Amino acid sequence: MSIVLPFVAQVLHILLILAAAPTLAGVTGWLEARLNGQSGPPIPLPWRELIRLSRKTPAMLESTSAVSHVAPAIGFGVTLTAAILVPSFALFTTLSPVADVVVIVSLLALARATTALATLDSGGGRSGLRQQSASALAVIVEPAAMLSVLAVALMAGTLNLDSMIAQQREGMLMPAAASLIALIALGTILVTDTALPDDSLGGIELALALAAGWLRRLTWIDLIGGIFLPVGIASADSGPLAWLIGLGVWLVKLIAIVLALAALSALFGRIPRHSLPGVFGVAALLALLAVIMVLASAGMA
Amino acid sequence: MVSDPILLFLIVTSVALLTLGTLTTRLPGTSGSFLTTMFCGLGALLCLPPLITRAETVVLTLPLGPPGLSLHFALDPLSLAFLILTFLIGTAIAAFQAAGTQVPRSDGIRTTAFSIGGTALALLAADGMVLTLGLATISASICPRAIAAPFMILAAVCLLTPPGYPPRFDAIRTAPADPLRAAATLILTVTAIATMLWPRSIKHSWTTDTLTAGLAVPLGSYLLLRLTADLSATAIQPWCGFIPLLGGCIVAAVQAWRAAAAPDIDTAANALIGRQSGLSTASIGLFLIARAADLPAAASFALNATFLAIIGSALAGTLTVLAAHAIGAGAGTFRLARLGGLIHLMPGTSAALSAGLLALSALPPGLGFFGMWLSFQSILSAPRTGGLISQLPLALLAASLALTAALATTASIRIAGIAILGRPRTPRGAGARETASTVRSILLTLAGASILAGILPNQILWLLAEPAAHDLLGTALPSAPAGSPGYTVLVIIALAALTTTGAMVLPKRARREAKIAGPWLDGFPPEIGLPFGEPSAQSAGAGFLPDLPRPRIPTRVRLPNLPPLPKISGPWLILIAFAVLLLAIGVSG
Repeated sequence: MSIVLPFVAQVLHILLILAAAPTLAGVTGWLEARLNGQSGPPIPLPWRELIRLSRKTPAMLESTSAVSHVAPAIGFGVTLTAAILVPSFALFTTLSPVADVVVIVSLLALARATTALATLDSGGGRSGLRQQSASALAVIVEPAAMLSVLAVALMAGTLNLDSMIAQQREGMLMPAAASLIALIALGTILVTDTALPDDSLGGIELALALAAGWLRRLTWIDLIGGIFLPVGIASADSGPLAWLIGLGVWLVKLIAIVLALAALSALFGRIPRHSLPGVFGVAALLALLAVIMVLASAGMA
Repeated sequence: MVSDPILLFLIVTSVALLTLGTLTTRLPGTSGSFLTTMFCGLGALLCLPPLITRAETVVLTLPLGPPGLSLHFALDPLSLAFLILTFLIGTAIAAFQAAGTQVPRSDGIRTTAFSIGGTALALLAADGMVLTLGLATISASICPRAIAAPFMILAAVCLLTPPGYPPRFDAIRTAPADPLRAAATLILTVTAIATMLWPRSIKHSWTTDTLTAGLAVPLGSYLLLRLTADLSATAIQPWCGFIPLLGGCIVAAVQAWRAAAAPDIDTAANALIGRQSGLSTASIGLFLIARAADLPAAASFALNATFLAIIGSALAGTLTVLAAHAIGAGAGTFRLARLGGLIHLMPGTSAALSAGLLALSALPPGLGFFGMWLSFQSILSAPRTGGLISQLPLALLAASLALTAALATTASIRIAGIAILGRPRTPRGAGARETASTVRSILLTLAGASILAGILPNQILWLLAEPAAHDLLGTALPSAPAGSPGYTVLVIIALAALTTTGAMVLPKRARREAKIAGPWLDGFPPEIGLPFGEPSAQSAGAGFLPDLPRPRIPTRVRLPNLPPLPKISGPWLILIAFAVLLLAIGVSG
């Protein structure tokens, strides 16, 4: 029984995130439009988009190599792997022993790298320029994300995400100020994480790239929700009733975070692209500050 | 005592390589390179039995030199780990030299043979004289301007030697060490290594570049480990570790930035190797701090990270430099802005370069990622090494690791994306030719070894680092924290392979044959005379890095009227707040 329940919870978690990622994208689009006083696109629009694109005959540039064909699938697969390792409604599922935060953040970086290579493979001028600026931003975003999770890991004394969440649930992660600063840094990354897939892709490749983007956003939301709002999350071996509660709380958390993101977007508007390096720079420095605060408090303890 | 004759044979092999270096002008054609390959292969084979049987340290004294002074050699686990790397990489470099399309120049063969022989001699040294002799040989071969470096190392050894004794390692180990002398030794060693590895002017010389990556960088780390972690182990204070840690962090960050901005493919590859050198130095610093603070777990993780950075430089660094130079020779240019589309023209070399870049970046499942993970584990295991001041370097190391990981990833994407992918940017680039099959097989063998080292890092560490760590720490190396499986690379690879295969196979029914289109897809017609589009419209590799923030300082200050406050951007405000906060915490104790 101790093996079966975590396994079932793991399978359920994978199915849930696969279903939730496009739905969440639809909800986000609808909410943002509603808060801006518009009628908004239908919530199942991302699903329809996936079906439409998967039926479309793609157009590939003649100069592209096999990299362009396999990179979207690798990007999706690697992002899904990262998403699988971040718990949603239950902790300590089958794969939780390998759920390492440094691995998760690096898998997301790997997914970005494959997308970047596919873009550069197309040899297009515009897509190349866009990739240049995306890489310049990633140089700031990725250290910020890594340092944020490291700050929490230093508080927990482990890199294992499930153990970190379990400790946070028990209220053992101190100091709270460092935790808050790490949350702000990660939140900044989530708010501005609006990477669009390359326009040189088409058909099923574009569908995979879009799905990878939505999964990436869900992964960040789950990571923030799990670390900083670990309320109601069930243990995998506690049975279906606890899972149901955990599932309900997870859905509420998802909607609350998406609502907060949409509200921020409606209040302040989209951050201009030229301001993004400054915003990410602030996030990176905040994350470093969180690490120093944790190390300093441990050193003085 | 199987190691006794092996030590003798290893000394003979080193001397044979040095002799070969002096005779290169008299040897016909590629025979010098073939002989170097043979000697290096023999050296690597000789290292295997003591490595597998975990042989004890053996010492050999040769009555050479002035009366009363003999030459002392030793083979211990630390020197053995570096020696097998040296011979393996030496074999690859010499074989590459022999297999090239052009007859190798005698000065190239001489440099290779002298460097490998000198490195082996330095690694086998058990006294200051032999060490200086080996270092002088390699310095004269690949970095003649760093001729002072061997004498700095000799001075460092003499500083540790008790009065009235010759500068022998066994005499140093038995004598009580002085902390001040140990600190001076550390500073001298770091200075000597920096002199040897300081970036040179760009010469596009593959021999010097590969010998630096494969031999000089590992040798630098060996010297630091030998002189600080081994010979002055008991005298090193925690603050001594901050010197290599800070220096290594700065070097890693600067070199990673250079790698992402360099205009030439070989310069970018060299900068990535410079980052490895910085990372290994910083890890040694962390090791020294953790060991002095009696934190064996943190020290073990740091030592493992050091070894992985060294293996990364030796294996993946050599591969990347060799592949970059093969591309330069095949495409007629090293300039990234003039390369492109090599995946179609030089597929084997491109695949080898990609494998090297994966290992040098910090992406899973590359070797570099596991090194970064181990460094983070070490920081995690050492949070209580003292007060705020002693914690700041750890935060700096964490920041440096995170920043250089992102920079190295960007540099790798840039090199692969610009040089290998896309379309050829020049007619000469479009006529690039694949390297000869023998050269390609050497590159692909190194690529296979790099990938294998990334997939099985714990096994590589068990083979190379475990015995050395046992000697330096007195305990076995943990590859994972207690109660955790650690970084289970095979599970992650299996999971990623499963999900990727699913993403490729499941929508296969819906997948349709792609329409082939020209690069004017966005609605633009092709240029007249350019039916395949304008190749120079592609990204040329610039702009992959963010602009550094520049504080706006008023140029002229008028005393009567207060000048308007400079407009400070967000990051600088945070930085100032940061400094104030640290000052406040520091003052409050």
